[in-house]
Amino acid sequence: MGDATNHATDYVIETRALSKRYGRKLALDNLDLRIPRGRIHAIVGANGAGKSTLFRILMGFLSPSAGEARILGKDSQSLTPQDRSRIGFVNEEHTLASWMRVSQVAVMQQHQYPRWNQHAYDSVIGHYHVLPEQKVGQLSRGERAGFNLALALAQGPELLVLDEPTLGLDVVAKRAFLESLMYSNAADDCTVIYCSHQMEEIERVADNLIILERGQLKNMSAPEDFTARVSHWIADVPFKGPELHTVPGLLEMQQLDGLQHYLVLDQDEGFERFLRDAGARNVQSMPVSLDRAVNAFLAKNHAAPAAA
Amino acid sequence: MARTRPLMLQIVTGDPRPIIKQITDAVRVKIATGELEPGDQLPSVRGLAQQLTINPNTVAKAYAELTTEGWLESRQGMGLYVATPRQRLSDVERERRLDLAIDRFVHDVVPLGFSSDEVQTRVASGFQRLVPRKRA
Repeated sequence: MGDATNHATDYVIETRALSKRYGRKLALDNLDLRIPRGRIHAIVGANGAGKSTLFRILMGFLSPSAGEARILGKDSQSLTPQDRSRIGFVNEEHTLASWMRVSQVAVMQQHQYPRWNQHAYDSVIGHYHVLPEQKVGQLSRGERAGFNLALALAQGPELLVLDEPTLGLDVVAKRAFLESLMYSNAADDCTVIYCSHQMEEIERVADNLIILERGQLKNMSAPEDFTARVSHWIADVPFKGPELHTVPGLLEMQQLDGLQHYLVLDQDEGFERFLRDAGARNVQSMPVSLDRAVNAFLAKNHAAPAAA
Repeated sequence: MARTRPLMLQIVTGDPRPIIKQITDAVRVKIATGELEPGDQLPSVRGLAQQLTINPNTVAKAYAELTTEGWLESRQGMGLYVATPRQRLSDVERERRLDLAIDRFVHDVVPLGFSSDEVQTRVASGFQRLVPRKRA
C-alpha cells in the first residue's frame, strides 16, 4: 500500500489521451501533457484553448470524457482533501471574505493546513504593506493578490497554480507580486504553473513555456527555444507572390508597402530558396520577440469566417 | 578581499534577443572593453535576478554559458569572477579574423598614399604600445 500512495512521480501533472467533449465541441483533444516537477512553467493559450477545462479536471471538479489525468501522482478523479492540500491555487479574482481581518483569515488557514509554514507566509506578505488588523475588504487589488499568494505558499504546497494572478494589477503591484513569488524562498520547493497572457511576465518568470491550442499541446520548451522557432521574412515578390496555402510553416502574412512579410514556424535557409523560387528579388530575415512569436502562433488558427 | 562589482546592465522584454542573450552579450562587452576586469566579482545569481526582476534560473543559465566560454570562473564557495583572458578562438578563426582585419586596413590605408615602409613602422610602434600591456 505504501508503495502505491507514496509513489513519487517525476511529473506533477500527467495526462494521457485526455479528452473532454461539450456537445459537438472538443475542449481537450487527446491531450498528452507531462509537466516535470520543479521550476516555473507558463501555460499559454488563446481563450478556449482548454486551460480552464484542464484545471477543472485536474482538481477533480469535472470528469474527463476519455483518457486519464494525474496530479501529484494521484488520479484526479479520486483526490482526497489531503491530496488537495498539497496544491495551492491563486486566481485573478483574489476572492476572500471581505469582512474578515487579515489576521483572522491567516489563523483560519493555519488551522486548516497541517503543513502551515509561518515563515513562508511572513516572507511573502513582507513584500506588501498589509497590516494584520486590516479588513480584507480594505486591501487594494494588489495587496489582495499578495495576501492570497502568501496564504497559498504558507500551505507548503508541492504544486502552486497561478491563474492570471496579475490581471488588473498596476505596474507596482505586478512587480511586487513577481518579486514575492521569485525571491521570497517560499516557493523554492514547489512547482509553479503560471497561466498568463502577458508575455512580458512570462519572459521574466518562466523556465518552461507550454502552449495549448484547441485542447492540444503545441509547445513545451524554454521560452527562448520557442522564440527561435519563429522567424520573420521580408520578400520583394513582384506580382502576386506564392499562394498562401503553399507557404511552408506560415503563421502570418502581411503585405506592407509592396513587400511581403511572412512569419513562419520551423523554417531554415530553405525558406529563402522557396521565396526566390516564387520570384522574390530580395529576401531578408530576422528573429522575433517572444510576444510576437506567441501571438502569431496563437492567431494562426483563430476562427475566421470562411474566405469569400 | 574582492568586492562585488555592480553590473550596470539593463534588459528589456519584448526584444528579439532572449533575456539570457541580453545578459551574456552585455557581460562580454563589458569584459572586452575593460569595464569589468579579471578578478572582478560578479553579482550573485539571486542578486542579479532581483536587480532585473527575472527568474534566477535565467541568470544561472547566462552565467553558466559565460563560464563555459571562459569569460567567467567560479571560485569554490565564493562566487563568480571575471576570468583571466585566455585564447578563446580556434586557430582557423584567428587566421580568418586577421585576414579580414588586414584586408580592411589595407583598403583604408592605400588611398592615403603613404609608403609601405612608413605604414609598417607605424603599425609596429602601435603594436608595441598595446601588446606589452596585454601580455602582463
